[in-house]
Amino acid sequence: MSLKFGVLGLLKGEPLHGYEVKNRFEAMLGGTWEVNIGQIYTTLQRLERDGLVRPIGRRGDRGKLQYELSPEGHKALDQWLAQPDSGPQQLHEDIYVKLLLATRIANGDLKGLLARQKRAYLQRLRDLNRLEERARRDGRVDLARLVRGALLHTEADLKWMDELSSERFGAEEGARTE
Amino acid sequence: MDGRTFFRAFRGGGGGKNGMSELVRLTEVTKVYQGGITGALNGVSLIVEKGEFTAIMGPSGSGKSTLLNLVAGLDRPTSGSVAVGGTDLGKLGESGLARFRRDNIGFVFQFFYLLPNLTSLENVLIPAQLKGSDATARARELLGQLGIQDIADRFPARLSGGQQQRVAIARALINSPTLLLADEPTGALDTHTGDQVMELLGQLNRDGQTILLVTHDAKLATRHAARVISVMDGKIVDDARLESPERAASEVIRVRSEEASR
Repeated sequence: MSLKFGVLGLLKGEPLHGYEVKNRFEAMLGGTWEVNIGQIYTTLQRLERDGLVRPIGRRGDRGKLQYELSPEGHKALDQWLAQPDSGPQQLHEDIYVKLLLATRIANGDLKGLLARQKRAYLQRLRDLNRLEERARRDGRVDLARLVRGALLHTEADLKWMDELSSERFGAEEGARTE
Repeated sequence: MDGRTFFRAFRGGGGGKNGMSELVRLTEVTKVYQGGITGALNGVSLIVEKGEFTAIMGPSGSGKSTLLNLVAGLDRPTSGSVAVGGTDLGKLGESGLARFRRDNIGFVFQFFYLLPNLTSLENVLIPAQLKGSDATARARELLGQLGIQDIADRFPARLSGGQQQRVAIARALINSPTLLLADEPTGALDTHTGDQVMELLGQLNRDGQTILLVTHDAKLATRHAARVISVMDGKIVDDARLESPERAASEVIRVRSEEASR
């Protein structure tokens, strides 16, 4: 979803061809999201099909074909930007499934799992701190904000590990696994 | 911040990451408080090397501040031993302990604890005066390096929280302590000011200062401390040494979304 609107947002500034879209998108995301050129062309084609962008000039070499936002595209982008991100919480990481499985397989003994995961989160915090520093050094305040969000999320994950490890929460008896 | 050369000069270029040597050793330390278990310690052993920046983390009541106070010689263990720089603190009497603190320990607190009727400069000079040395020049230079030379003659009530904490750091450093202890030094500061104070501590460590930091802020702890010790219910439950390689952004964060279909 956000690739589609990312492309729309970049085209709002000025007409661009596929490679420019790819490069600017990746630069905007500061290396946190790599896309291949095929995805960009597919996205542009779908946006054209839906009437949100239109090509400028003659169709020929698609590498040289520039796109611009249509009035509908402007509207769709503004609507998307004005909408809160209200979908379900995304829990992509393995730890969530590992935790559920370990509760069954290891008979509820999570100590090792939690300790290892805690280390991983501490290391990630350190890596994120360095990334934030780098972003600020490079004058990328927007990117530093994104990293800050990741830092706070990882801090929450760490607190979760601590809570699960503490006697009060970790050793609940008869934890149901249905 | 260009305090590098300055701090190195004051420290005689010593310290640093190479040539690790032991500075603090806790052996089977317990601390029992009457009437409750909060803050108690239960068999803690720990070695801190010279030049390390170590963060001690844990929930309130876990014993992390107790640990710091024992290392500072502000409190004595119920059993076990605490040694700093080879000195067994248990063998020192009260005046010996006071001398030890004065000469070896710099302490930074959450609420600064500056004396309200003394100026910034006078506050910084207290530990040096207890030692009987005139350190006015060094105090002024410390204030300068901490970016607060212009408030030397102001009283604490007229300083912001960040300025007060910088004065407190200068006071902690005036006697060139072998060990700088900081107990939630950013706890009473806003995020931005807290970041600056932590940056100063990081700079001091890069110039060789050994630092033991108690905090509950994992974000700040991992920014500067390469070692993070977790304390829970009076015990050390984890002792992590973190790496600091240069990682590509995509190795650390990936902004994802559902596939660009539809």
